[in-house]
Amino acid sequence: MSQTKSHKYNRSVSIIGVGCTPFMYTVDNPETDGLTEHELLGYAALSAMEDAGIRATDVDYYFHGQASPLAGSNQLTPNIHCGNWFGMKGKGSIHHSEACCTGYLALDLAANYIASGKYDCIMTGAVEFGDSNPYPNDSVDTAKHPFKREKVTMEKFLFTTKWLYDRVYARSLMAPMELIYDDPAEVYVRENGITPEQMDDTLNWMCINNRRNASMNPLAIERHTFAEIAKEKGFDSDIDYLRSPFNPKMGAYLRANCLELKCDGAAAVIVCATEKIPEICKNLKHKPIEILGVGASSYNAINPHFEIEATKNACAEVYASTGVKPEELDIFYANDFIITSHLISAEIAGYLPKGEGWKYICEGRTAYDGDKPINTNGGRTSFGHAHAASGLADVYECCKQMRGECGERQVKKLPKTAMLRGYGGAQNVAAVLLRTID
Amino acid sequence: MSEVKLEKLVQPFYEALEKGKMMGRKCPECGAVEFPPVYACNTCGCLHTEWYEISGKAKMHSIVLPGALSSKPEYKAMGKYAYGEIELEEGTKFNGVVLGITKKNRDDLAAQLPIDVHAKIIDKNDEFGLKTVVFELDEKYTK
Repeated sequence: MSQTKSHKYNRSVSIIGVGCTPFMYTVDNPETDGLTEHELLGYAALSAMEDAGIRATDVDYYFHGQASPLAGSNQLTPNIHCGNWFGMKGKGSIHHSEACCTGYLALDLAANYIASGKYDCIMTGAVEFGDSNPYPNDSVDTAKHPFKREKVTMEKFLFTTKWLYDRVYARSLMAPMELIYDDPAEVYVRENGITPEQMDDTLNWMCINNRRNASMNPLAIERHTFAEIAKEKGFDSDIDYLRSPFNPKMGAYLRANCLELKCDGAAAVIVCATEKIPEICKNLKHKPIEILGVGASSYNAINPHFEIEATKNACAEVYASTGVKPEELDIFYANDFIITSHLISAEIAGYLPKGEGWKYICEGRTAYDGDKPINTNGGRTSFGHAHAASGLADVYECCKQMRGECGERQVKKLPKTAMLRGYGGAQNVAAVLLRTID
Repeated sequence: MSEVKLEKLVQPFYEALEKGKMMGRKCPECGAVEFPPVYACNTCGCLHTEWYEISGKAKMHSIVLPGALSSKPEYKAMGKYAYGEIELEEGTKFNGVVLGITKKNRDDLAAQLPIDVHAKIIDKNDEFGLKTVVFELDEKYTK
C-alpha cells in the first residue's frame, strides 16, 4: 500500500465551467477533416468559459494536456502555441502528459494551484488526436502539413504503445507490456470464484450498458446500440451477438468490443477558488461543483496487478483526506479503455459491493437508468477515447449530470457526490471526488 | 562520504545475463531485494542498495494466457507460455513469463497456485541480441 497521506485543500476549489468537443474521427468527415489541435482545444476552452459566464481575461493561468504532442502535433511545447486561441496570450501555462490519465491529473494540478492561493481562476484543458497524425505520417523527422492529417493504423498505434513501458527493463521482460489486458479479469475470476463464462457475460454487459448510455449522447462517437446491431446481423439479442464470433476473443478474456475506440477530441474545465466565485463569475447560472480531493498512485507495469494496487492506494488516500465514505457516492466514472477497469475500480472504490459488482452490471443496474450509474457518457468503448482529453470529458459529463443537464440520459437521482477513477500511462491512477455545493 | 552513487546498473544487469547470472540489489538495512536492479530500497526507503545474485527459485501466483492482443511475433520462439505474477525466493514480486503453460494444462496448474518455477535466461530474439529472464515450470509439473 502507498504510504502517502494527503490533506484537505487550504481553501475550497470548485468547477464553474465545462466544455467538450464531440469525440470523432476528424479525417473521416469532410466537415471535420482539417481541424487542428488549436481549433479543438480552443473550442473546448472557450465553451468552458462561456459555461462559467466569464471572459478569458478572468482566467489567471492554464494547463495543457496532451499525451503525445510530438507524434500527434509534431510539437514539443504545445501549450505555448495555443493560448492566444482562447484569449490567454501572455498568461502562464504548463504542458503535461500522463497518457490516458492526463485529464484527471489536469484537474488535480488546477485544484492544487488554486488551493495554494497562488491563482484564483484556471483553465485546465486537454486535446488529443488519437486517430490521426500530421501529414505525412511517416516519421516525426519529416516536414509536416499545417492542417492536413493522416489516419493512424491500429498496427502503428499498437506499436507506439511500447512508448508507455519502461525501456530499460519492462519491454525486455515482456509480461509487463501484456498483462494490462487480461490481468484484472483473471484476478476477479480467481478471487471471486466466478466462471470464465460469467466473466465473459460481465464484459459483454459492460459493452451493452456503455453503448446504451452513448446512444443518447450527441458527443459520443458510436451511438448504434448492440441491440440494433444484433438485429441487423440476425441475432435474437445483444448478448447473443456479443457472445458470437462477430465479437472475437482478443485475449484470455477480452473481446474486440471491450477495447477503446481511439479517436480525436478535446475537453476543458474552469476551476475557481470557491470564495472568489461571487467576484469572478457574477453570471454563474448553475451550482458550483467542489473538488473535494484527488488521491494518486503510480506503479510501473513490472509490478503485479498494477491497476488494482494503484486504485486501492488512490481511493484510500482520497477517502482518508476528505472524510467521504464510499456509500456517499451517487455516480461513478472509470477510465475503461480496457472495459474490465469499469468493474474492478467501482468495487475497489466501494461503489459496488466486493465480489457482487458483476451481477449489478449483468442486471443493467450500472447503465444511466439504473440505481448505480457508471460512465453515463458511454465510456471509452462507446463515447470514444481521445487519450489525454478523455478524463476531462468524464469531468464534463459528471458535472452535467450533477447539474441535471443531461436530458434523456439524465440519471434517476440527481447526483450530489461523484468519484472519477483515472488510469493511464502504464500506470498512473487518480481518484477524484466531486460534490455539488448547495 | 555519501553512499549515493552515480553508477551503472542497467548495463551490468544485461552483461550478467550473458554470463548466466540474474542480478538484483539488496538493501543493506532491511535486507529487501529489488529485481530488476534499481538504486533505492522500495521497502524501507534506504537510499542505496548493493548487488545481489538472485537464486532463480520462484513461485507463480497467477496465470494469464496470451491472445492476439497480448502477444508479439517475436515471442513465438519461446513456444507455449503464459504471463503472471512471479515471487522470487528472495520475496520480490514482478510480472514475468513462464514457459510450458498451454490451454490444455492451464486449468490444472491454476488449481495448484502458487506453483513452483525457476528462472531461465534466454535470447530475447530482438534486433539487439540481448538476453532476458523467463521462468520454467519445476519438473514435478511436467512429468
